[in-house]
Amino acid sequence: MIKNPLKNLGRLAIVLGVLAPFVPLVIWSFSFRWFFPAVLPTEWSLRPWLTVFAPQTRVWIATANSLWIGFGTTFLSILIGIPAGRALGLHQFKGKTVVEFLILAPTIVPALAAAFGIHIMFIRYGLADTRLGVILVHLIPVTPYTVLILSSVFANYNPDYEDQARSLGANPLQVWIYVTIPAILPGIMVAGLFAFIISWSQYILTLLIGGGQVLTLPVLLFSFATSGDSGLTAALSLVFIAPAVIFLLLTSRYLTGQNAALGGFGRV
Amino acid sequence: MKKVFSSLVILLLAITACIGGEEGAVTDPASYNNWEDVVEEARGQTVNWYMWGGQDNINAWVTGYVADNLKEQYDITLNMVPVVDTADAVNKVLGEKQAGRDSDGSVDLIWINGENFRTMRQGDLLYGPWADDLPSGQFVNWDDASVNTDLGFPVDFYESPYGKAQFVMIYDSAKITDPPTTMDGLIEWIQANPGRFTYPAPPDFTGTAFMLHMCYHATGGHEQFLTPFDQAVFDDAWAACWAQLNEIEPFLWRDGSTYPESHAQHDDLFANGEVWFNMAYNPAEASSKVESGQFPETTRTFVFEEGTLANTHYVAIPYNSPNKAAAMVVANFLLSPEAQLSKADTANWGDRPAVDVNRLPADQQTAFNNLPRGVATLSDAELAPFRLPELQADWRVAAERAWETFVLRE
Amino acid sequence: MLAPALIVIILLFGGGLLLALTQSFGFLPVIGLNEFSLAAYGQLFQDDVFLTSLGLTLWIAVASTGISTILALACALLLRRPFWGAGWVRFLFQLNIPIPHLVGAIGILLLFSQSGLFARLAYLAGLIRETGEFPALVYDPYAIGIILEYVWKTTCFTGVILLANLQTLGDNFEDVARTLGANSWQRLRFVTLPLLRPAVLSSSILVFAFTFGAFEVPFLLGQRFPSALPVLAYRKYVDSDLTSRPEAMAISIVIAILITFLVLLYMRLSKQAVKRV
Repeated sequence: MIKNPLKNLGRLAIVLGVLAPFVPLVIWSFSFRWFFPAVLPTEWSLRPWLTVFAPQTRVWIATANSLWIGFGTTFLSILIGIPAGRALGLHQFKGKTVVEFLILAPTIVPALAAAFGIHIMFIRYGLADTRLGVILVHLIPVTPYTVLILSSVFANYNPDYEDQARSLGANPLQVWIYVTIPAILPGIMVAGLFAFIISWSQYILTLLIGGGQVLTLPVLLFSFATSGDSGLTAALSLVFIAPAVIFLLLTSRYLTGQNAALGGFGRV
Repeated sequence: MKKVFSSLVILLLAITACIGGEEGAVTDPASYNNWEDVVEEARGQTVNWYMWGGQDNINAWVTGYVADNLKEQYDITLNMVPVVDTADAVNKVLGEKQAGRDSDGSVDLIWINGENFRTMRQGDLLYGPWADDLPSGQFVNWDDASVNTDLGFPVDFYESPYGKAQFVMIYDSAKITDPPTTMDGLIEWIQANPGRFTYPAPPDFTGTAFMLHMCYHATGGHEQFLTPFDQAVFDDAWAACWAQLNEIEPFLWRDGSTYPESHAQHDDLFANGEVWFNMAYNPAEASSKVESGQFPETTRTFVFEEGTLANTHYVAIPYNSPNKAAAMVVANFLLSPEAQLSKADTANWGDRPAVDVNRLPADQQTAFNNLPRGVATLSDAELAPFRLPELQADWRVAAERAWETFVLRE
Repeated sequence: MLAPALIVIILLFGGGLLLALTQSFGFLPVIGLNEFSLAAYGQLFQDDVFLTSLGLTLWIAVASTGISTILALACALLLRRPFWGAGWVRFLFQLNIPIPHLVGAIGILLLFSQSGLFARLAYLAGLIRETGEFPALVYDPYAIGIILEYVWKTTCFTGVILLANLQTLGDNFEDVARTLGANSWQRLRFVTLPLLRPAVLSSSILVFAFTFGAFEVPFLLGQRFPSALPVLAYRKYVDSDLTSRPEAMAISIVIAILITFLVLLYMRLSKQAVKRV
């Protein structure tokens, strides 16, 4: 420690830099009448928190919708990602580069352009303003990440164990449950985490396809952020980040250390 | 690739299977014999109410008081959909019409007035006439020109009045003891106090209203424009207004190089003392923001001696709403004396009533007169003599466009 | 096995882009638009508003990507070795990843606005006497607030990826270099950085593409004029005059083409740079 004061200063800067934007969020969420130049609120209050959880704020409806859409998107994208990841991670085939390029395209080209175009079809076919429609459009930015993560998991996966299990008399379902799934579970967790977080954070795609009727937490938060009550906005921001942080806490052991799944980003 | 193709086909088929329901029955106003039929049909329906969501106490009143009462009294579920700008909702109905969704639209009710109402009427996007069929309509003075025309455009019962508003200027009495109450006085003050004044960029609703006050003043009075829009007159007379606004621009907040994006952002500047004047198209807004801790307790309001803009705001039902009966019940409830009284209470919103208070039963008249006004709200007697009419929507739209060209980007 | 993934990409994404493209030509027979025209594009490239916005968007994306990539490299190098509290610091670093940009933008606003926390601290320190004296860091002409938010978020994103890569690579190569007599700067310059190059390249592409095409942050922290292209496109899309829609579509197509072009160019240039080394 004494050897490297500069490095430790750098590390301290990292911690402070990461935490800085949360400081005003926490203070504002307990404030009442807090005007320039007061560095701390002149009056402390639970008003923002009480208002956020009051029924007319509809935070529970928004949370339920966000969870529903987040888990729906995650589930579908994992279902899509496992076979695709296996094909890309384990096999060489003609046109593989083209397929990889296609699947990665939405990480480069913003989904907003596609959402503009497809909106009119969603309106025609009754998918606009529904949670299903929102899940479908969330799949656009989510799918590349789940496929990418799962393909790098399968790239480090040895399918010979499956053959061994089969030779010991396991049926295909047993092979999946006892061999494949346990082997790729960490990858599924990381992919699921990314899928959930990407879906959870979407604002503009939800607003466009959900038409404002599918009230998710970002839609609600945006409405507060543009109506100017900083206390309320700050409190809702903290509510909004809570589940994502909890989710990260639960899965963090899959994220740290030597991690093939995250290393996969090196191949984009 | 064969597999890919076949899955594509299956998905397409699945999607096309969802198309159904395009031939739903279109209900026209004549199909209801009486109000009881409407109430009966409305039972169990959900109303998607698209409304400007820029003020939290209004939102809370709608999702709380209004939604609870509708559920309890009529078994109607109210889904308030906040929009940043009412034009978003208009655009949505237009988009649905374009996509051929003529009977199963997503918008049942819109909080609306002015240019948006005109756009929807001219595009045949509204259901009606229905507003004169509401039982609560008896309390409305439909002979009043400020009710039966909306920014110069005939209402024709295609929208139902909801409330009335008047523009006020807001200041902090701890910073300014004696605010300038004439336009000339304000312009002088702005030039004497650089960086202390700004207004939200039109087409923000409040910003446009402030701009119009300046233009009424600079062009020598609004009377000459109370006619249908005339491009030649506009180009000729309103140049004086752009000159006036450009003249004060260097003295505005951030030297006028930018303007607050929204009314809310302007509020924030005012609350923190970055600018010393604020404005609102709602005489009670300052009081409710004092109560919620957003504005200093010394906040007060005033109107210009030349007068300030006043108008009526309404609710309208899109032509393709699948829940017209329930939407009408909502509109009727909003116009009921109880709802109007609750809305007029500063603790909730403080909006002025759309009903004519003199037409109400005596006890309700007393209730209205006894409402506490809030610390920063002017009395009706202080507001009423200073009302200016709004111009027809075309003038407004032209002015908003011209402001961007001649003021913002000059 | 690839079918479901390709359906999502081809049908929803590709189909959406194709529909945006046809609508940008003012052509969509299902809704009765039968004329094919390039008018929307013609209008765009004569429009100062569009061109200024394009410049601003490029500036935001280039500045955010450049600054955050350098910072991320520094962070990853600082955090790779064990030190007191390393576990906590690395965890905090990751904690940033699930925070939505929307919340980041609100935090930046409350910190950096002229009445924000830093302005109040500056007042306390006697550096400013009133809000107007604090530099305009949000809603400002140089998009500083937007860039600050992007740097805050994407430094952690890139940093976590680089950290994972560093840990996978291990110390072997550097140890070899050390035994060959390379000093710490030489080890960094000729061993570590080249090994990290693919990860730096791919993450900076992701960051560039994201910051070029994202909506929320420039909407919340940007000036009204000029605004970032996605904000401009959205404004045109929800304009109550439906004739603006082809323009909205045209802007989003231009965004898509430009990003693709710039990313390909960047990949090509960095490949040439590798060859030269």
